[in-house]
Amino acid sequence: MSRPGFVLEVDDRTPPLVVHEGLGFRLEDGFPLGTRVVYPPESIPAVPDVDEAIREALLHPHDMDPLPELLFSGMKLTIAFDDLSLPLPTMKAPDIRGRIIEHVLTMAAEAGVDDVKLIAANALHRRMTAAELRHIVGERVFRSFYPQGDLYNFDAEDRDDLTHLGTTDKGEDIEISKRAAESDLLVYVNVNLVAMDGGHKSVGIGLASYKSLRHHHNAKTMVHSRSFMDHKHSAMHHSAWRMGRIIKDSVKVFQIETTLNNDVFPKPFDFLQKREWEWSVRDQATMLGVRRGLAVAPQKMRHKMFHDMRSVYGLTGVNAGEVEAVHERTLQKVHQQHLVEVQGQSDVLVMGVPYLGPYNVNSSMNPILATCMGLGYYFNSYRGQPVVRKGGAVILYHPLNEGFNQLHHPSYVDFYEEVLAESTDPAVVGEKYEQQFATDPWYIHLYRTSHAYHGVHPFYMWYWAAHAMDHVDSVIWVGADRRAAARLGFRAATTLADALEIASDTLGTSPSITYLHNPPHLLADVR
Amino acid sequence: MSFLKESVDDVRQVARGWRWGRRAQVPKSAEPWVLPSRSTVFRTEWSRRKPAMAAREVAQKAGLEPLFRSQVRTRVEGLDVLARIDGPVIFVANHASHLDTPLILLSLPDEWRRRTAVAAAADYFFDTWWRAVGSSLLFNTFPIDRRGGTMAATPGEVLADGWSLVIYPEGTRSTDGWMGKFRMGAAYLAKEYGVPVVPVAHRGTFAAMPRGQGWPSPGRRQLTIRFGEPLVAGPEESVRDFAPRIKSAVAALLDEDRSTWWEARRRVAAGSTPDPTGPEVAPWRRVWEQSESPVADAPARKLLAWRRSAS
Repeated sequence: MSRPGFVLEVDDRTPPLVVHEGLGFRLEDGFPLGTRVVYPPESIPAVPDVDEAIREALLHPHDMDPLPELLFSGMKLTIAFDDLSLPLPTMKAPDIRGRIIEHVLTMAAEAGVDDVKLIAANALHRRMTAAELRHIVGERVFRSFYPQGDLYNFDAEDRDDLTHLGTTDKGEDIEISKRAAESDLLVYVNVNLVAMDGGHKSVGIGLASYKSLRHHHNAKTMVHSRSFMDHKHSAMHHSAWRMGRIIKDSVKVFQIETTLNNDVFPKPFDFLQKREWEWSVRDQATMLGVRRGLAVAPQKMRHKMFHDMRSVYGLTGVNAGEVEAVHERTLQKVHQQHLVEVQGQSDVLVMGVPYLGPYNVNSSMNPILATCMGLGYYFNSYRGQPVVRKGGAVILYHPLNEGFNQLHHPSYVDFYEEVLAESTDPAVVGEKYEQQFATDPWYIHLYRTSHAYHGVHPFYMWYWAAHAMDHVDSVIWVGADRRAAARLGFRAATTLADALEIASDTLGTSPSITYLHNPPHLLADVR
Repeated sequence: MSFLKESVDDVRQVARGWRWGRRAQVPKSAEPWVLPSRSTVFRTEWSRRKPAMAAREVAQKAGLEPLFRSQVRTRVEGLDVLARIDGPVIFVANHASHLDTPLILLSLPDEWRRRTAVAAAADYFFDTWWRAVGSSLLFNTFPIDRRGGTMAATPGEVLADGWSLVIYPEGTRSTDGWMGKFRMGAAYLAKEYGVPVVPVAHRGTFAAMPRGQGWPSPGRRQLTIRFGEPLVAGPEESVRDFAPRIKSAVAALLDEDRSTWWEARRRVAAGSTPDPTGPEVAPWRRVWEQSESPVADAPARKLLAWRRSAS
């Protein structure tokens, strides 16, 4: 039986609570009495037989013919799939996408389909390495397609493989992968880890170029996405949905969406997803061991320890068929796993930024990514209204000291050193510098041939945080490198007490506080 | 050096936060979400076999008894009733403190004590293996489910094996020292297995070591305990009728302990035995009254010459 999420009120019986901070975690015992702590629901039950569930979904899709009836000899079939930014942390092999692709290919082989291409829908994310691709699709698929060049990363700067499908009624360009657009059938395999994923965002964003993405990936749209975890109230999703409906007219998309439960921490780190007061003696001992180990381990080893973690997610659902019909069912499952009811807003929102976000898998969490994770993803983990009131404060935990990965994030370095030095206002930096970074030939070269995120990507990270920056008055990082925090335009504090002291300038000495206890993922349903 | 200091700080924080050596606590707002306790049934047959009995004898005689006597004074009355009956019996007593069990056990004659087992709350004394082993080794406890659950078979088996039982029908320690509501379990067992019930009343344990206290108060407080006439359920008597009779017997014994046998008898006859649940007055007054140790007309202390007191 899995218990629903709930809101704890810190009292004198509450033990210290875990707060994630980069490559480590803190046991915070400084939460003032009465602090609300939002706990995610426990893992909901997984489907008993994954292969059976996949077969069932492919043979009985929603608002579409069964997959075998859509496959015929001589057709052009393209299978696109989410890249390594999902799920987080990476799933223990076999990845669910690989298992689904195997089923799809088995049906395609039976139907005599010869022309099959597999495209990782990484949009402006970095190209994945062969090993990363193999982890997602599985060894069998990898061996059959990769050497021939039929399994590859999408290249959003390859003018020859892009096609313009038109514009929406709001004048938004739709430019996506030509191969996908010209296929007789485009099968998209997604992992719907959180509520913002999937739907028309899969093809419309995952396989799109900068020309198309710039319409919704900008400061103005993001400020009006409240939140981007709630597609019905997200300007970004509205744009993606407008595009998706036009894509639908010219491309036959067979969407396969999967949902996962909250089993993110494998043993022996499973204590991190238990409620602290329920820790057994063994959990306490493991926690102490891990904490002391982290304290002596060099940065590199800590990085390895965390990034080698593979989650043992259970599959909670797989749905296939027409995009919107599928996505509605998918969201039901996601909400069942993540939604927690929270009564009213508070003055201060506390969040621990963990070691991992979508853009630093096998890489490092630089200050810009940490901001995106805290003020972007975590801040937006709400439905209804933000957890913190307008003009409130956000307190984040992260050391901001991991530096930049030159291979993966070259444009981030320049963004940090040059752009943020001048302004930290998302609208201003976008207006002034986005074009320059997006069209810089060197960044494009690195994006296409190396493993670098696109030149414009750091801007997107900053836009992701735009809604939070617009909404709250102060952002304070606990335990952060002061210079890094200052460069980002934020303040740093050593402890929670200091951070609350800083916030007291505007919020008084006894503000109401809410701490979002994630990971595992949660979505606060603020009434 | 700082690593060592941080490690010590970490361990200290965890020891304090998770209350090492004490019972874990659940934050109030999380209480509705506590999972029902695991129904792990710790087997306790071993604790009623020879090796465990021998170990218990040593533990009780060499450890528990001297310690107990060093902390409290006791006055035991009414043991003569045991001479007239053969076991097994069910000792039914009021429950006000963790001192009740050692008081009853150590008041019994050795041959009775060795064959007496104590019914203990499964969710309290049997929630971890070490607590289960410790309490069954020292006090010969076995688990019962005080929420009236599934373990009801166990006390019957113990009785059937010829062991006497100690049962506290209130199911939990009193919060103010006064007697609470009696449940039917003891009456049911007595009726079902045809064994007599020996009512037991004791006073002073609440004053000496109330709920929440881990050790008796200093000053060797006085405890009194009184065993009453065995009660046997009549052939036509239902459990529902028998249970109140047991409660009245305990109440009368308490009255007797407070006054004299004759006065108590007369009050029983007149139906005016004082209510053992205490007067309906402000909570503090109830606690106040019970926090005073009973006065026993014990013989004056010997060796007056050695007393340090100036009086």
